[in-house]
Amino acid sequence: MDKQKLKYDPYNLIITGVGGQGNVMASRVLGNMLSKMGYTVTIGETFGASQRGGSVMSHLRISSSDAFSPQIAKGRAHMIIALEPTEAIRVLAQYGNADVKVLCNTRPIYSVGVISGEQKYPSQEDVEKWVNELSAQSWFINATDEAMAKMKNPIFGNIMLLGALAGTNELPLSREGFEETISESMPADKVGINMTAYDTGIGMLG
Amino acid sequence: MTNIAEHDKNARHLLMGNEAIARGALEAGVAVAAGYPGTPSSEIIENLASVSGKRDLYVEWSTNEKVAMEVAAAASFAELRTMCVLKQNGVNVASDFFLHLAGSGTRGGMVIIPCEDPGALSSINEGDSRHFSRMLEVPLIEPGDFQEAKDMTKWAFELSEELRCPVMLRSVTRLSHASGNVVFGDLPEVDHKARFQHDGFILDPDTGIMCSAPVDYRHGLQQEKIKKAEEIFETSPFNTYTGPEKPELLVITSSACNLYTREAVLLLGAEDKVGILKLGTTWPLPPKLLEKHLAMTDKIMIVEEVIPFLEENVKILAAELAGTIGPKTFYGKRDGSIPSTNELNPDLVVAPIATVLGMTYEGVPAAYTEKALPLAFFNAPSRDLTFCPGCPHRASFWNIHNVLSLDNRNGFVCGDIGCYSMAMLPTGFSTLRTMHAMGSGTGIASGFGQLGRFGMDQPVMAVSGDSTFFHSVMPALVNAVHHKADITLVVLDNGGTAMTGFQSHPGLEIDAQGGDAKKLDIRKICESMDILVRESDPFDFEKTQQQMFDLMEIKEGVKVLILKQACALSPEKKHTKKFEMKVVEDACRGENCGCNRLCTRIFRCPGLVWDAEKGTSKIDDAICTGCGVCADVCPVGAIDRKEVA
Amino acid sequence: MQIAGSKELTEQVLSQDLCTVCGACVGLCPYFKVHIGKLAKIFDCDLEKGRCYAHCPKTDVDFEQLAQALFQQPYNGEPLGIYRRITAAKAGDKTGTGDFQNGGTVTALMTCALESGMVDGAVLMDSDGLLPTPKLVTRAEDVVKCASTKYMAAPAVSCLNEAATDGKTNLGFVGTACQLTGVAQMRLNPLEKADFVDPVNLTVGLFCTWALDTRQLMDFLSTRVDLKTITGMDVPPPPAEVFIVKTGETVVEIPLDEIRALVPKGCGVCPDMTAEWADVSVGAFEGKTDWNTLIIRTEKGEQLVEKAVAGGYLVLDDFPAEGLEHLTLGAGNKKKRARDNVAKEEK
Repeated sequence: MDKQKLKYDPYNLIITGVGGQGNVMASRVLGNMLSKMGYTVTIGETFGASQRGGSVMSHLRISSSDAFSPQIAKGRAHMIIALEPTEAIRVLAQYGNADVKVLCNTRPIYSVGVISGEQKYPSQEDVEKWVNELSAQSWFINATDEAMAKMKNPIFGNIMLLGALAGTNELPLSREGFEETISESMPADKVGINMTAYDTGIGMLG
Repeated sequence: MTNIAEHDKNARHLLMGNEAIARGALEAGVAVAAGYPGTPSSEIIENLASVSGKRDLYVEWSTNEKVAMEVAAAASFAELRTMCVLKQNGVNVASDFFLHLAGSGTRGGMVIIPCEDPGALSSINEGDSRHFSRMLEVPLIEPGDFQEAKDMTKWAFELSEELRCPVMLRSVTRLSHASGNVVFGDLPEVDHKARFQHDGFILDPDTGIMCSAPVDYRHGLQQEKIKKAEEIFETSPFNTYTGPEKPELLVITSSACNLYTREAVLLLGAEDKVGILKLGTTWPLPPKLLEKHLAMTDKIMIVEEVIPFLEENVKILAAELAGTIGPKTFYGKRDGSIPSTNELNPDLVVAPIATVLGMTYEGVPAAYTEKALPLAFFNAPSRDLTFCPGCPHRASFWNIHNVLSLDNRNGFVCGDIGCYSMAMLPTGFSTLRTMHAMGSGTGIASGFGQLGRFGMDQPVMAVSGDSTFFHSVMPALVNAVHHKADITLVVLDNGGTAMTGFQSHPGLEIDAQGGDAKKLDIRKICESMDILVRESDPFDFEKTQQQMFDLMEIKEGVKVLILKQACALSPEKKHTKKFEMKVVEDACRGENCGCNRLCTRIFRCPGLVWDAEKGTSKIDDAICTGCGVCADVCPVGAIDRKEVA
Repeated sequence: MQIAGSKELTEQVLSQDLCTVCGACVGLCPYFKVHIGKLAKIFDCDLEKGRCYAHCPKTDVDFEQLAQALFQQPYNGEPLGIYRRITAAKAGDKTGTGDFQNGGTVTALMTCALESGMVDGAVLMDSDGLLPTPKLVTRAEDVVKCASTKYMAAPAVSCLNEAATDGKTNLGFVGTACQLTGVAQMRLNPLEKADFVDPVNLTVGLFCTWALDTRQLMDFLSTRVDLKTITGMDVPPPPAEVFIVKTGETVVEIPLDEIRALVPKGCGVCPDMTAEWADVSVGAFEGKTDWNTLIIRTEKGEQLVEKAVAGGYLVLDDFPAEGLEHLTLGAGNKKKRARDNVAKEEK
């Protein structure tokens, strides 16, 4: 298959969020989509105790030719998909640079420190302001709320973000590629709702 | 999960390292796989269990790693290909048997697969099992990427049969839990036939007895096997060299560090200056291969994680070869070039290489860091580890903490390994005061329970999970009973091995393959030891605390309190809500004297949120799992609990 | 009054071992509780000002403030505190009989107070086996069950705090000096809460020279007696220097010196022998074990005594001058001891 040339090779993408948000599933779906297209993909994960409310990251390395380390070097991310807003800031501080782009879900997940009143959670405006200061381009969508409203399950927010990612054209992702990938890992009756989520995501880019 | 049992030869898949290892084992025609859950190893057994029907496999979650290795060894003695899967701690648990197995040798190929955790991402240690290979004199091989994870696993069984000894194949978190592209090989037809031949001449490796004695003879055989492995390793395709013929710097590396090193060289643009010798066979080191590469340059860097195992072994060889290769300058852990603790990453490998070559490198651009770091530090609230909403452990430790505080004699709890280990932290009210290995809580308590004779009058408690109880608490419990230690063991029975992904254990009626298994009853086992046993639901504060007081009042012997309540993530509970919870705002005392936010400041269930504007707590319906317990935490009854129809 | 929080209370009182388990800090919040006679802090509270500190009799007490609030006059610093008159007293026929330590005066007064409706409930000291347990008594006939002296320091005020939290008012309280000091401070509403309601209408003080640490006493006695068989305890008047423990079958005498080692350190810094911060105070009567010394301090105290006498609950008699001299000396000595011990503490 003729692979499209990537904007960067390797293309370094980080999916970040809080343990339990579905980080790993999202990275696997995305990784499989790109792998099927013939790209060489490496994914690095943070598992284990971080699931109990801790910060998590998936590092995706996408290349036309070589396999790269499962950890992206500091300051070398090209795209950050944040399932949680403050995690975007945290990841940008370590892996960001002037050219990085950020796709951010706006629904906060409060840490125990915040809900117990010890820490303050920043406002949405502030988070967007900082993300804009630290990136070349950014998109903010409330995927979780949309998923809760339309599909009664926040997990579809992650699929919406994948759709939105496709919509940014940063990576050569296609609707057909997503459908093929999702059909392999989901029972047939679940494919439709995932496609709806994907399409909704593209639409939310605005 | 990718279907690792598809025939699909030559197809390219995106696989997790553990899936690749499982696939490699299937391609080798493995028959038996045994292990104990331990992050980052567990997915290997889970993947094999899911295809065990299709591929004529027996897959077992054994009671502990020593038993797992023994179970696997039996299959090897019966001429089947077999494997034992564990994390670094598990090798320690199995080590006594491992020592003797190295002596007795094996028949069917046997591969022992430790998946280790440098940087302790999911452990409370970063132990390094590579030493066992040298210590016990068994070959050690380490995949350096995902394709090798599959290919080397398949090869490991062949190697084990050629040498007639177990082979250690070591992985790490950043391979086991990372994913990469793997091309599938052939899946053989399987028709396993087990037969243990034992009535031949006693020293015959195929038909004699399996034993590590006579020791001198067997030990001699072991060393011959290691010598043979050396020869085989000289030409192994898993030892690769990339780089110029005469590099300025030679980097010797293995495992996931191979990936970091390659990336580091690329980032520096130093491909023409740096040669990378990636070793897949790390014990014994093939001397001729090392000699050839060590001769290339005077500057040698060894990149590895945790203990300088590879570095020291290379240096020993270099000393022996000094006559031919000349003196070298070594860079590694011993001279501080590579950090001595924690895992590595590309940046940590870039830095020493750049230093040696006199190059500069900027990770995150300085101007960017200046802006970004303070923003993150001050504004992204740190995420403390916490028990899940509805977790029975939060309730159990609430009860224990209250009772020990009221008792007021500076009592303490010896902790153990599992989700409940987090009770060292505020999420469990900092209740645990010692924490070591599986079963150590009861073992240490058994020791403390003897110190009354030296004036210690502090109440001694231990905690154990249900899986941990079978793993290694039982022998410690027997010790405590036999020696009449004055201790109370609280067994936190949440119905599964939760921390590692809710695997089964001997207390449940199902096994790794989802089939019927015989369930052992913890209460009956304790009663058979003549222990005074009580049971309670940790969500019932009053009853549980009364039970604890009653048991602590009995001054002699071992007491066991079993706190039974299913894990919030267990299949029976997930996505169900027993109660609808609501904070009655008018009744909530909030920050005032008389409460000071007991529920959100101290109890800290993620489902309880402090609303600073209203000055009251509130329930987050999206997170609350409806366990109902916070209604009893509130000192003024301001939390309503209503049963869901 | 300087007010701080639970952190300072822990530093200044609990860690210094000065707590006498009066219970003034218990029953207000989830953080301080008493279990088998010992105060426990369950969790840390980080409030800068708390009622626990404000009510505690072992933190800074403003006698001037208390005197003005309870007696509407300046503090006099006298050994017996502020009072109107002293008389001898004992239970009358209407009170009936009970396990009185001495004259049964407290039982008489509280029975009368409840029966007449002067109070709707009274915090008295009952026992749960050996363990003194404060109880809110609402029926007059239950008062007599709480008769007899309890030698172990017990958290009487915690029961009052719990009753107040439940919204109860018009209550009576019987207790020793430290407990009454705590109650008096509580009634001042030191944290100036807008919703504060004074739950107390009547206080009866008990003379006290020292109390005993519950857990230490139980440990001590358990080596000499089977605790389950104990029916009562007594400290006979001087010159006897013994502590008496009664079981079903025997009477065990223990030298008082050995018992004094079990007195909480906090008792040593207490300046108040006759329970100065009460409407009336009751104690032993020198020379007659079936009579009490009754000190009447307030108008309300007078009304209660009049009512009790008129109703046949209480009988009075003159108080001898020599008795007054000895009482004043004893109370004065306790104040001096307290001053000396405080000075030692501060060194």
